This record gives sequence, structure tokens and C-alpha cells, in this order.
Amino acid sequence: MTGIPTALKPPIGRRSNLYFVWRGVLGDPVARIAAGVIAGMMLAAAFAPWISPWAPNAANPELRLMPPGTPGHLLGLDQQGRDILSRTLHGARLTLICGILPVVIGAAISIPLGMLGAWYRRLGAVIMRLMDVLFAFPMALLAIMLAALMGPGIGNMMIALVVTLIPYNTRVVYAAACLERDQAYVEAARAMATPDLKILFVEMLPNVVAASVVYSCTIIGAVVITAAGLSFLGLGVQPPTAEWGIMTSEGRSFIFNAPHIAAVPGIAITILVMAFNLLGDSLRDSLDPRTRLRLVKPAKET
Amino acid sequence: MHLALFTLGRLGSAIPVLIGVTVVVFLSVQLVPGDIALSILGRMATQEQLAALRESMGLDRPLIVQYGRWFAALLQGDIGVSLAQQLPVAQILVPKIWNSLILMAGSLFLVLTIGFGLAVISAPRFRSLTDRIVVALTLVFASLPVFWLGIILLYFLAFKLKLFPISGMYDVVGGGGFWDLIHHLILPASVTAASSIAVVARVTRSRMIDVLNEPYILAAKARGLTRRQIVLRHAVRNSLATFASIGGLQIGYLFGGVVFTEIIFNWPGIGMQLYDAILARDIPMIQGCVLVVAVVFVLGNLMSDVVVRALDPKGS
Repeated sequence: MTGIPTALKPPIGRRSNLYFVWRGVLGDPVARIAAGVIAGMMLAAAFAPWISPWAPNAANPELRLMPPGTPGHLLGLDQQGRDILSRTLHGARLTLICGILPVVIGAAISIPLGMLGAWYRRLGAVIMRLMDVLFAFPMALLAIMLAALMGPGIGNMMIALVVTLIPYNTRVVYAAACLERDQAYVEAARAMATPDLKILFVEMLPNVVAASVVYSCTIIGAVVITAAGLSFLGLGVQPPTAEWGIMTSEGRSFIFNAPHIAAVPGIAITILVMAFNLLGDSLRDSLDPRTRLRLVKPAKET
Repeated sequence: MHLALFTLGRLGSAIPVLIGVTVVVFLSVQLVPGDIALSILGRMATQEQLAALRESMGLDRPLIVQYGRWFAALLQGDIGVSLAQQLPVAQILVPKIWNSLILMAGSLFLVLTIGFGLAVISAPRFRSLTDRIVVALTLVFASLPVFWLGIILLYFLAFKLKLFPISGMYDVVGGGGFWDLIHHLILPASVTAASSIAVVARVTRSRMIDVLNEPYILAAKARGLTRRQIVLRHAVRNSLATFASIGGLQIGYLFGGVVFTEIIFNWPGIGMQLYDAILARDIPMIQGCVLVVAVVFVLGNLMSDVVVRALDPKGS
């Protein structure tokens, strides 16, 4: 980055990425709230069976479609008379898993793919052309096609999401690895006849992983929406399991006489996605060399 | 490089990508679990029916031969026969493509105008109340799931307030005509556009703030230009390339969103056709829908690259 005064470079150079994540994310009140919301939802998901007032599939047909505020049912009841609060708490489990797990698996595949591509240039050309082809499909559509052909189900939906995410993350890793490839420390390692794989996965990996992690964090929100969307289309989680996408889908049929059925899970998705987006933005800013400057305490004279 | 040459070059590089797209769509049938013929015809099928289907789809040949046959037919506009409707897929899809393009065009129009408008309103008033409201709104809208927003607006604006029709492209009785179409278009187009508007506004706003911090803006102020002149002459012009490229990126998201809005608002386009095909497990139709969207998407990206190039002051 030009524009950074040389006098400021040494103190930044010595700070680890973790330092910037720590100061950037925890020093940012908005990011703290976002992290709190996500942590809260994770806790709610983990303890859903103990904190839910009702079982997620326990139906009381006499109270079906009753609005929020019905005694004993804070958020109302759905078309079968199931408690929406309990279903939303239980639904957080699959919604979170379907949003986060494909991103993690996708990154685990993309990191070696992008790094090997950057190192072995011919292989890289092949990999990146393959990725270009996958980029030719709008993200949601590729996931829909794959999930539709493999058949409905949560496992197939996860595979579809992973395949859809790989091109994006691989491109990020590839770009980062191409920058690292030309650094002096890599040249030094080569001069010492370090094996290729050791250079890649011992020397370069720590520097490349940050880019992939930041990218992964910024995309979780979009993946949560896509996964819920696939379930909404009937391609992911299947009824009667509680999950926010399928709950919205079921509520759609009763939107004109009981709008709360679809409204509640959608609000939950929006809050979760907003929290992930805010946290991702903050994380990206705190690791971006252009914005991280403001995070460094006024340099002490050394 | 001249813009025409650049366009030709991009067209040239799009061709291998398009061929790759056909390979992916072709191979995607291999994902169908078990015997394809059986999963198409169902358990009630007789051995003769299965054999006939395998023969007609060429399923007993090597993959490369199958692809060759499929691709040759594709070049003649033959994407296969819909299993659910027993009609050529291409014949069913052509009118739906237009309907989807209308919805896409409406959404893209909203994304570009409102997204840019919000940036122009907020960036020069950095950290003012207006700016904060715009930032907060974009934050919420970028996080809204399109299928949920569709259902909720359908309930409030179409069902409760009766401002817009609940479904379809035209009124059934006495419908038709341009204004009837616009009346039906506003709600689905807005729902499709919502999160993209937020993304475009955010990115364009931050680019404009960067531009407004440049020394030449200070120089322009020193020359006595009003804020209005500075924004229109310098900030807008120097943000256009960023705006066009983020706007172009939205095309893909809009295509994803269109699938959901078409289902919710009963808009007779590719997205709804795709949904019907998924429910009916109509595999050639699923392939056809995805293929058509991917081709339109590649061409749309190409156009947006050319526009970005033309708008970038440093480009030529």
C-alpha cells in the first residue's frame, strides 16, 4: 500500500493478525453487539430442548393459527398448533449449521486448491478455468440445480452449497497465495531447498489463511439466506423438522389469515444475517492494511 | 485498447466459458441418484418403457458420445423434451425468458437508480443524520431474505393495503397493456432488488466518500465551486466505474432472487418454471432453465464489463 508513511511500518509489521482482530472487533461496539447476538443464538440453539416451553413438534390443534400473545405461546402457534417460539429456538440449530458448516468445508477444500494453483502455474491455469465455468452460474441458481438433481435432503443441500462456495473462496486464496509466492521469505525457503509442500503448507499457509477466513466470515450471512432459501423451495431440510427456511415456507400458505407464522422465522433469519454481516465487515476492516492503521495505538518512541 | 477490440476480446473469452457451462449442465444429470431412467419414469415403469427412454436419451452410450449428441441438438435450439409436459423445453421456455427478463430489467433499473441515488444523497453528507439513516437502511436491507420480504410485502402492500395486485403479470379481466404490466411489476421487482440496492448504495457511497477526500476536491472547493457542482462534476463522474462494476455484479444475485419472487408473486417466468420442474422432477426442464439463465448471465456480465470499461476514465 502506498500512502502509508514509512515511519509507521515497523510497529505494524510486528503486530500479529490476531492483535488486529482483537482490537478491531472487540474495540468496535457494533461488532461486539453482533458477536453477542450470534453467541446468544448459538446458546439458544444449543440449549433449545431445555429452554423451549414446548416440544418443537408438539401440536395443539385447538389453538392452531393463534396469534402471538396467546397464553403460554408467546409468539403464537402455527397451522398445526405447534408453538412458534419453541420451533424457532429449535430451528436455530439447523439454520446455524447449514449456514456455517458449508463455509467451513468449502474453505477447507479451497485453501489447498488455491495454494496449489498459485504454486504450480499450469495446474493453476486449469483450476482457475474450471472456476470460471462455475462462476458462469448465479450462486443461488447453481445451488438450486445441484440440490434439485441430487434430490431433497439436508446432506445433498450441504454438498450443493459447498460446491457453490468453492469457486469464490478459491479465487480469494489464489490471489493471496500469488502475492505470497513472490515474497522474500518464500525465495529464501526455496534457496534452502525446502520441499514445495513444506513451503506451501508451513511457510505460506499462515499468511494465506487470514484472507480465506475473512472472506468466509463475510459470506456466512449470504449462505444462511441461501440455505434457508433452498429449504424454502423444499430442497433442504424436510418437514416436520424445525428450520427457519421451511417454517417461512409453511407460513406462506397461511399468510393471509396468520401472517405471524412466516414473519417470526424471517425476522430471526434477518437478525442472524445482519449480525454475521456486521461481524464480517468489522473483521475485514480490522485486517485490511488500509483501515487497520487507525487501530494501532499512537506509536511509542522506540 | 479500443472499446470495440475489448468487446471482441471479451466475447472470445466468453465462448470457452459457455462451452464449459454446457458441459456442467450436461454432466449434472449424473448427480441424479440411481438409475436415471427409473427416477424419471417412476417405479411403475415397465422394462420396455425404461429401455425406450434409455434409447431416446442415449443413456446406453459412452458419456462423450452422449454429450456430442446433446450439444449438437443444443446448437439447433433443441434442449430436450419436458417430461412433465411432453413438449420441447425450448418451446416452453421462450415466452418465460421474456417474462423473466422484464422482471430482471425492472429490478436492475431499481437497483441502479435507487442504489446510486442513495449514494449521492448520503456520501456528501458523511456522518450526518441522512447518511446514518441510509447506512442503517442498507444494513437491514442487505440482510433480508428475499423470499421472506416477498411474503411480508405481499401481505401488507397487496393484501392489506391493496396497493398492488397479489399475483401474475396482467389482470385476468380487462388486463393487458403497459401500465397494467408496470402495476404488476413494481412489487416483485422491488422485492428482487432490495438487497442489491443496499449493496450498490453501500459500495458506491464508500467510493464517493474516498473521492470526496481527494486533494482535487479541496482544489475545487478553493476555486469556489458549490457542493452541488463538486458532487455532480467530480464525485459522480469518478465513482461511475465502481458503481457500474458493483451494479454488474448484482445481475447474478438478481437471477437468484428472481427464482423466489416469481414463485411468491406467481410471475410466469423461468424461476417459476424451474420450481415446477423441481417439484415434478422434470430433469430436462431443470437443465434447460439453468442453461438459459447461465447463458443470459454470461452475456449480461460481458455487457457490464464493456460498460465498466467505457466508464472508467483510466480505462482507454
